[in-house]
Amino acid sequence: MVEIKWERNFDAAVEKAKRSRKPIFQDFWFDG
Amino acid sequence: MNTGPYLDEKVQKFIEEQFIPLKSQCFWDRPTDLMKRFDIKWTPTFLIHDSEGKEHHRVVGYVPADDFLSQLGLGKGKVFFNTERFAEAIAQFQTVIEQHPNAGATPEAIFFLGVAGYKHTHDPKALRRAWDTLSSKYPQNEWTRRAEAYSEIPL
Repeated sequence: MVEIKWERNFDAAVEKAKRSRKPIFQDFWFDG
Repeated sequence: MNTGPYLDEKVQKFIEEQFIPLKSQCFWDRPTDLMKRFDIKWTPTFLIHDSEGKEHHRVVGYVPADDFLSQLGLGKGKVFFNTERFAEAIAQFQTVIEQHPNAGATPEAIFFLGVAGYKHTHDPKALRRAWDTLSSKYPQNEWTRRAEAYSEIPL
């Protein structure tokens, strides 16, 4: 089973994406 | 914690391997800067950005795993397409079409496969082939109607 390692900071995700050339998948969620 | 669409192992693997995964919590009584920036009005909202953080695809609401995987693949293809990486876009759209023939995003992938093929080769037959596929497999779909203008292109 692969565990998703979530980034929580947008700018950090962009930096990771630039380094890896991967796109970003962003999940906007609500804890209701 | 993995919930909702992330319970599916294929979804988990695809996101972890193909994307930089990012979670952003929403607060309706005090919208965050990211909610305002991306105009988030409902959850779940899933965005796919290029490596500069520019949005290229959006899914609102939960969908079954096969549909979700096709949306992820389509979004990745649209990142390639919109950044003019047409050969990679073509390969990505073909993967969506082959792996998820019954998914909701597949007609859109066929449409963009045709457009990416045309932009990559300047051969309008790619557009005609998209129409042929859409009209035969998805005759009632909106993307078939969008491609109807290509039906007159000679093969």
